[in-house]
Amino acid sequence: MTSKNSFWASSRENHKRRIWVWVVAVLSQLLVYCAMTTIYLSRIKNQYEMGAFRTVEAFRRAMYQAARDALAFSDNLWPVVTFLGAVIAMQGFSYLYDRRKVDMYHSVPVSKKQRFVVIYINGIIIYLTGNLLGLLTGTVIAAAQKAVNVDVLANEGLAFMWNFLLFLVIYHAMILAVMLTGSRFVTLCMFGVFVTYEMMMYWILESMKWSFFKTATSFYLYTDPKVSPLYDCMEMGLELKNASDAALAAGICLPICGKWILIAAVLFAAAYFCYRKRQSEAAGKAIAYRAAEPIVKIAVAIPAGLIVGMVVLDTSYNNEMLMVISMLVGGVIFCAALEVLFAFDIKSLFKHLWSGGIVLVGILVVFCIYKWDVFGYDSYIPEKNEIESIAISVSEYYDNYWNDNFEYISLADFEKEHMFLTDTEPVLTLARKFQMADAEQMADARSVHVLYRLQSGRQVNRSFMIDYADADAQTQLNRIMASEAYKKGVFQYMTEEPFLEKLTRVTYSNGAAQVAIPVEEAGRLKEAWMKDIEQYDFTLVRENHPCGQINFQYVNYMSNYLQVYEGFENTIACLQELEAYYPVKLDAADIDYITVTNYHNELTKPVLMDDSGHDFYRGVYGSAVALEAAYVEDLYVDYSVRETFYDEAQIAEILENIHPIWMVSEFAGRDATEDNYSVEVVFKKDTSYPYERDSYYFNYYFLGGQVPEFVVEATAYVEE
Amino acid sequence: MIEIHKLTKNFENIKAVDEVSVTIKEQTVFGLIGTNGAGKSTVLRMVSGVLKPDEGTVAVDNMPIYDNVEAKKKLFFIADEPYFFANANAQSMEHYYSGIYENFDKVEFYKYLEKFNLDKGRRIGTFSKGMKKQLALLLGICAHTKYILCDETFDGLDPVMRQGIKSIFAKEMEERGLTPVIASHNLRELEDICDHVGLLHKGGVLLSKDLEDMKCNIQKIQCVFSSTEDELKALNGLTVLKKEQRGSLCTITVRSTREEVEARFATVDMIFYEVLPLSLEEIFISETEVVGYDIKKLILG
Repeated sequence: MTSKNSFWASSRENHKRRIWVWVVAVLSQLLVYCAMTTIYLSRIKNQYEMGAFRTVEAFRRAMYQAARDALAFSDNLWPVVTFLGAVIAMQGFSYLYDRRKVDMYHSVPVSKKQRFVVIYINGIIIYLTGNLLGLLTGTVIAAAQKAVNVDVLANEGLAFMWNFLLFLVIYHAMILAVMLTGSRFVTLCMFGVFVTYEMMMYWILESMKWSFFKTATSFYLYTDPKVSPLYDCMEMGLELKNASDAALAAGICLPICGKWILIAAVLFAAAYFCYRKRQSEAAGKAIAYRAAEPIVKIAVAIPAGLIVGMVVLDTSYNNEMLMVISMLVGGVIFCAALEVLFAFDIKSLFKHLWSGGIVLVGILVVFCIYKWDVFGYDSYIPEKNEIESIAISVSEYYDNYWNDNFEYISLADFEKEHMFLTDTEPVLTLARKFQMADAEQMADARSVHVLYRLQSGRQVNRSFMIDYADADAQTQLNRIMASEAYKKGVFQYMTEEPFLEKLTRVTYSNGAAQVAIPVEEAGRLKEAWMKDIEQYDFTLVRENHPCGQINFQYVNYMSNYLQVYEGFENTIACLQELEAYYPVKLDAADIDYITVTNYHNELTKPVLMDDSGHDFYRGVYGSAVALEAAYVEDLYVDYSVRETFYDEAQIAEILENIHPIWMVSEFAGRDATEDNYSVEVVFKKDTSYPYERDSYYFNYYFLGGQVPEFVVEATAYVEE
Repeated sequence: MIEIHKLTKNFENIKAVDEVSVTIKEQTVFGLIGTNGAGKSTVLRMVSGVLKPDEGTVAVDNMPIYDNVEAKKKLFFIADEPYFFANANAQSMEHYYSGIYENFDKVEFYKYLEKFNLDKGRRIGTFSKGMKKQLALLLGICAHTKYILCDETFDGLDPVMRQGIKSIFAKEMEERGLTPVIASHNLRELEDICDHVGLLHKGGVLLSKDLEDMKCNIQKIQCVFSSTEDELKALNGLTVLKKEQRGSLCTITVRSTREEVEARFATVDMIFYEVLPLSLEEIFISETEVVGYDIKKLILG
């Protein structure tokens, strides 16, 4: 090949054909970078002029952050990059759609490989030129306003790589879509399927799992789309933007970038393979490879039908028959639509019925798998010898938890990281007894989440109801909750430094009194509590309510709590020594009055039933037709009766039988408190009792079966 | 030489080309004749390397053509609807092709543009269909490839332009051994250009022959015999392809050389006889009727 016909000559000629793409790529990125930089920095400057920053240093920091927001991981940029990746790829290879262009390009003495490489590299050059130009201009604008430092530049570099890899993934996906199709419209549809397929499948399978499997849970393990860059951008974008420095951002984005490199490489290989195999006569067809048509039809119509079914299931209040019908109808409609698209002929509606049949069978098979739990999802309990360790969550809320960066994390994440029960028998016993049991037959059904860490490295997460009232369950729960492994998984103080150096305030509260404790005494208090927590088990929390709690407050308004029970002698002794202990029972002499409200739920409940016996909520949202209009009106009738007690004797009797609402043990039985009543305690203004002065009254519950007779009588409902 | 051997191409369930075997010799004008759908364009697209044959081979100077840059350097393909870049003019097309074909003759190209009154700066989109075809032909000629493949390119050109192109072809054939391959559905369009003709029908080749050979081997005689005996004597041993009689005037088409016919008729007592030149159309009618086809229906409409 002579120099005239060299790569660069071809490249130059190709660029001439892509002027408008150049214009779009450069202008859009220039606009986004420059406009955002200008707007973000101006906003900070305006705030500064309005006195929003106390120091110049704070203003500088805000300027740097604004420059980062505009030039690094910007929410506004990844949609532009995605758009450009798709447009540049489609325009570059669009000659393949047109027979006239194919005749010309494929007859001239340029190899297929060279043509691909020229178009491919030119596309990247177009994107990079626009991106670098925009980034550079934006950086100059920011630098002129002294909003650029090393961290901003490092973040820009990371974001440049992030955006470039996102571009490559999208670019390759679109090239593959072009290679597989023969017209712009079908290419766009195919591209749409590529970039959303995993998210779509994820949504369908998760929705079906949640709809049909009663042990489904995402408490410990949640599945995310793994190869969807757009999902990554949506999920991680904010995290990257909020990363405190470039090192942290690198820690977040580099693993994702590595994944994107792999995805981009696979897509490129597939796209180039299809390019080599693509024949010129594919121009103008819907799908370039005839053999791919039924595959595309089946791969698209099955999930499409399932989506229709799930939407109908969701909106028809779990009407499964309607779901099945709509899934099949949806499948048929999509099959017919795809056949019309493939042939560009409305008469092709019912062509290739065999593949349509596969679609319908596929839809029914998926439905049956979930409906009848063919693979035993709900009944799955691993064998003892398969399990390495277990984490179990019996409480929705224990405390606040934090990670190494002193950021809040969820209870599930903490347990997952710190609870390793190797005594697996109690959990397996609970699972065998209750996993498939009917919760409605249980006296005190409560949900538990279990994470099985298997020897194989696999992790399995299940959720089921257990009966707290069941003696066997109590025995197993005692064994679980008394174990060191369990406590390490729920009490952060057992395993980690409590950040004592970051403590700002320590208080003790019994539900009404709030007493400050010197911060330097926190260590001693913690040690006392650590001794007492050895007696922690299910029986303790089932039969006792906490009598108080120690509250640790840290910098950045973070806090956590240590529950104190009456048997915690060491802790109580320490608190008494610090003159911070106040019994949970209040003294009538300190109380001004008590107001009791009886909600009379027993009167409200009957009218909450509809004709078919469903309760109100199911009635209204589930079978509204069955609910009589009169009932609906009745729902708003207030049957509650309030009575205030001033008599000291009556107050004393009430105080003997109540417990602070927010210190009721969540493990206690359903009848441990009287939820028909609420009690508001109001202290005398002149009392020396150290109640929290910001509060006007304090909320309590009557303990189960301990509502004084005079209260019952005084709050009885009398029909007018 | 372009050698096409048992070339087959299917488009889904349609057999577009079925075991076509043709040899295109150098420095001849090869005409590819056939009705719409006969497979002419498909054959040319395979010969130019655009389409990959399902079966069979195409060799250009002994090189396979498909995805072979060296082989493609030897030919220039002008499709039935030639493509020009959006908003391009003749000059920008020259820039493109001169970057690809190393022997592209720019001077000659602009000279021809002037000769054919084509404005080099005018947008090709504003050209008439004929002007576009002229431009495509000029680009092809000036690319200085050994072979130029024209798919229906001459159809619709006015006689003056056809003559102009024809004379350029002649000049290029003489100067550098150009071999034009011209596909057309109209036999009359090719009559005065082609040296060799291949007739395609339903994807297969009905015949492929040198025009001169065909002309030399088929003779049309108009004559009046003195007697039936004289007629039998004159035609004895000759392959009579067709015989028409109006009164005593006979028009006979025989497969033979002119010399043989004249020698034979000279020995017979004839009232009148004359050996007439055959048009390409008449030759095709005679040749295809022999193999059972009605050429009038196929090509002449």
